[in-house]
Parts: sequence; C-alpha cells; structure tokens
Amino acid sequence: MKVLPSDKIREALNILAGEAKVYAPMVQGDASGYFQWSDNPVGELLLDTLNTYMSPKNIVMPQTEDMYKFVAQGKDAQVTEVVYAGGPRIIFGIRSCDLQALHDLDLVFLTKGYEDEFYKARRQDLAVIARACYQPGPACFCESMGVDRLNPQADVVMHDLGQQDFAWEPKTPKGEEITAKLQGILVEKDVTLPQAAEMKTKVDITGLSEKLAGMFEDPAWDELASRCMNCGVCTYVCPSCYCFDIQVTTRGDAGGRFRCWDSCMYKEYTQMAGGHNPREFKKERFRQRFLHKLQYFNERYNANLCIGCGRCVIMCPNSVNILEVITKLKEVRLDA
Amino acid sequence: MSDNTAKAREIAKKLLQEGTVAMVLGWEKGDEPYVSAPTVIRDAADVDRLVLDEYCIHDRAALLPDYRDRSEKIAIFAKGCDSRGIVRLIQDRVMPRERLYIIGINCPGMKDPNEYFRAASGMSKAKPAEKAAKCLSCQYPNPVIYDEIVGETQQPRDDKRFAEVDKIESMSADERYEFFIKEFSKCIRCYACRNACVACNCRTCIFDETKPQWVGRSTDPVNNMLYQIVRSMHVAGRCVECGECERACPVGIPLMLFNRKLIKDVDQLFGPYQAGLSLEDDALPPLSRYRVDDPDEFM
Repeated sequence: MKVLPSDKIREALNILAGEAKVYAPMVQGDASGYFQWSDNPVGELLLDTLNTYMSPKNIVMPQTEDMYKFVAQGKDAQVTEVVYAGGPRIIFGIRSCDLQALHDLDLVFLTKGYEDEFYKARRQDLAVIARACYQPGPACFCESMGVDRLNPQADVVMHDLGQQDFAWEPKTPKGEEITAKLQGILVEKDVTLPQAAEMKTKVDITGLSEKLAGMFEDPAWDELASRCMNCGVCTYVCPSCYCFDIQVTTRGDAGGRFRCWDSCMYKEYTQMAGGHNPREFKKERFRQRFLHKLQYFNERYNANLCIGCGRCVIMCPNSVNILEVITKLKEVRLDA
Repeated sequence: MSDNTAKAREIAKKLLQEGTVAMVLGWEKGDEPYVSAPTVIRDAADVDRLVLDEYCIHDRAALLPDYRDRSEKIAIFAKGCDSRGIVRLIQDRVMPRERLYIIGINCPGMKDPNEYFRAASGMSKAKPAEKAAKCLSCQYPNPVIYDEIVGETQQPRDDKRFAEVDKIESMSADERYEFFIKEFSKCIRCYACRNACVACNCRTCIFDETKPQWVGRSTDPVNNMLYQIVRSMHVAGRCVECGECERACPVGIPLMLFNRKLIKDVDQLFGPYQAGLSLEDDALPPLSRYRVDDPDEFM
C-alpha cells in the first residue's frame, strides 16, 4: 500500500498547493481550524489531535462571503461584479464526521431544485483527502448518527499508522490524479492497518424525528433550555449548521452584498420588520436548534444534520449537551 | 458525596419544601466526571441532582436576567464572583433583593470543565489547569452578599490583576495596534463573551439593533474591533471580574486583559473602585453615579 511518511507531509502539501488552494488542520494560538496552506501558513499544521475547534465548513461557506458589487445612482443601479470564488481546492485531513457534514451541506445547497451558485463555485472542484478515524474521543458519537468512520466517502482516504505516517488509499479518479502528483513523495510499503478502538459514546435516535413531530409544545423544552445562554458557539463550531444572513455595505454610490453566518440562537435572527419576533425567548430559539438538527432536516432530506463530531458538547460554555437533550426528549412520555 | 454537596442539597430541600423559594439555581453533574452544569431545581424531590464540587465554574448570576419579568422567589448558589454579579443585577434593577435567597459558597477556586473536556476529547494538547485561569487573581473568593453560607472561608489570591495590562501599556502604539488586530481577527462573533457576562444585561443589546445597525455583521478586523471595544467600554466600571467572557470564548481571545485595562483606567480616573461589592448607594459604579464633586470638569 502507498504510504505518506510524516516527514514528507509538508512537501506534499506544498506540491498540491502549487495547483489548488489546499486547506489543512492548523492551530493558531489556542484555537484550531482548517486554514489555507502556503509557504507561510497562518498556523502550525495540526495532525496529532482529534477534531479542530472550528469545523472545515468555512472552506465551502466562509463566515463572510462577498456576493456581488453594485453602483447605485438615484434610481439607477447596476451590478458591476458577481463574485464566484471557483477554482480547484483540496481539503487535507478532514475527518469522517466533518465529511458527512459536508454532504449535508451539499443536500441543502445543491438539491431539491435549488442550486446555490456561490456554494457550487467553491464546491464543484473540491477534492477531499479524508482521514479514517481509528481512535475516537469521549465526545465522539458519529456512529450513532450513521457515519462510517473507517470508510469516508472521499477521493483519497488516509489511515493513521502511528508517528503521523499515513497509509494512502485513492478511491476515485480525482484521488488517482492527486496520487500521481505525489509520485516522488508516496512510498510503497507493506502495512497493517490499525485496530479501530470502540466508540464508547452512543445514542439511539431511532424514531426520534417522528416523536419530535408531536413535541413542539412540550413543557420539557423549558427545563432543557434553562441552561443555555443563547450565544452562538454551538452553531458556529458546528460543521453542518448552515444558516446565513445577507447584508449590504455601501460607500457613496458603490456598495456590495455579502453573506455571513447567522445563528438561530440570536434574537435578531427572527426579528421581523414590524417589530414582532416569533422566537422572542430563549426556549423558542433553543428548541429551533434541536428540532432542526433532529427533526426538520430528517423530514426534508432523510438524513441526520447532527453528525456526532461532539464539538458543541465540548465547546458549550454552559455545558449544554446534545446527547443529554436527546436522552431527555426520549424519556418524555407523550401519552401521560 | 462531598460535605458541600450534602449541605447544598439539604439547604435546597428545606427551601423548596417550606415553599420559601420556587426554584433553586445550582449545578448538576453532566455525563463526564469533569462536567458540572448549570441546573434549575423546582421540586424538593429532585434536590439529589444538585452538586457542589470543583467544577462549578459558571457564573450562576449570568442567567438570572431570564427571570426578570416574573415574581417568584429564587434561591441561587453564588461563589464570590457570582455574588458580585448579583449585587450588580440588584443595582441595575434587574432583580430585586427580596426575590433572591442567596446561598453563598466560599470558593477555593474552580476547574474549567471545558478545558478538561477539550483535553480529554483529544481536541487540545494543553494540560488542563488545577485552577482555572480566571480564579488565579481572585480577590473575593468569599461571597460579598448571602443569606446562608457553605464551605470554609478562603484567602484572596495574589493580586496580579494588572500584570498583563502593564505589559500592553509598555508596548509602542504600533505594537499595540498589531496585538489588538491579531487578537480581534480571531473573533467569530458568537457573542459568547457578551452572553456569559453578568454586566451585559441590557434588554436589547446594541449589537442586536438593526435600525440603525451600529456594528457590521461581517467578520473583519474593523467590525470585530468595533464589537470588542464597545463591549468592553460598555462594561467599564461594571465588570465584576468573574472571567466568564474569556472562559467562554471559543477562540481564546484574552478578553479579561481588555476589561482589566478599563478597570485600571476607571481606578485612575475616579479613584480605586471594584464593582459589585456592596449594595450601599455610594458603591454604585462611578459611571452610573451622580456626584456634585465629580472629577470630570463638565459637571
């Protein structure tokens, strides 16, 4: 099997970065995420931790993204430039859970008769070098959310061999092309793939979506939401939360529209022009997040929007835990 | 079960059974041993969920504004920092003193569950600290206001509150600008610092305003800086140094550094002051108080 040796990883990234924008897990100060690789990258390459703090969704959905520019004089307005950020991109080292989240984003932005051209521009030439996950952490529960952590649907799958050597397994023609570019880097070796450790954290969501359809007004939400302080940490570290807002900036006659991440945790998110807010209090906002994750998305796409990466569980400043929320929702007796 | 937990349950049980309060704001254990999470107990039968251990780090007062438009009496567990937050909320007329039964906790310092979770989950290589960073300079480990108290009286820690501020002040203007830009560039505008803050209790926050929109929603150094500077200026003289903003920040921005710079400025401009120490009139924050002998010349 082909192997990418640890001391050649930077060289490999440099080669790939010559022809595409390459994104790799990196750490910047205290926080980690997927940033663009270059001769002088913004952070240190990070391959010996599990998930990054921030998910890789910024690659296809940057937090702030220009859409178009315009000039407006009186009643005349002209769009001067539409910003499509196309071109080849490669994600290096994405984990199976995050890749599943990317497939969720594809469902939202590319299916059901709606194609989001800005998303498509970033997505269509994206190659994925994924990393199979052999050693899950205590907050990992991707298997319960239907993720096959050892066989991610990627162009190349890497398997940890220890000491940051990776077995290299091309899966698609695109993956073969990338492999060809790394001819001088990859070495042929007899390797034994590691034993996968058991994923200890589990939750059974069978029938949950159907049950939640009858729980909108359930009093359980009051207590579940009491701990939440309505910040946006969970939604912004989540690899599959995709809500955005469209905003405008102007300077004189010129201006531009951009979109930026938004969060159902924010009061402003549902603020209506007339002053009414259908999600005035935190219970409504909290409920929206969990029903979107566990019911609405399942109903519309027949897929799980929560992919079990555990980031929200680890990062919530007030220890809101989606596993605990699921368990408590399942315990509620609806016939009582 | 520790003595403190047993005591906490006993107090809560009595208060709920006798109908003194309608609810108790405390902590319960999460799924992991290093997680204690904020909880609300409304029934004496549920008091065994309560814990009082070294992971009860959250500022329990920060969620009190959720109950501002109601009338029931609330029991709240409060460490030194939380108690100062409660004083601030009473002073800001968010919550009347009569609605609260404060169960003080003499606090030896806490561990940060998020720090432990990040390490245990393989997300961070940093070794979690025995005492959270926010507790290291604590000057008021014992509650400043309470109806009942749990735990042994604690000594204040070494006062190194302004050590980092002094470093920033000694930088050249350009270095300082670089430093601020670097830190603010990391901000993802999740507003966790604002929402974790007991001083941030405005009904409608300026950052949620849409007409006009005071701060742009794009994440860029200018708007991030505008957000962060307005936020810390707004809590100047009202920050109780609970450190929750910095602890809640998912990207590690040193927010207490900015808060402490402003605390130092308030000290220098208006005389030494620490927020939330007393309910007396003259203990109001300098910027919330009218004085005929105000040092500012326009008065």
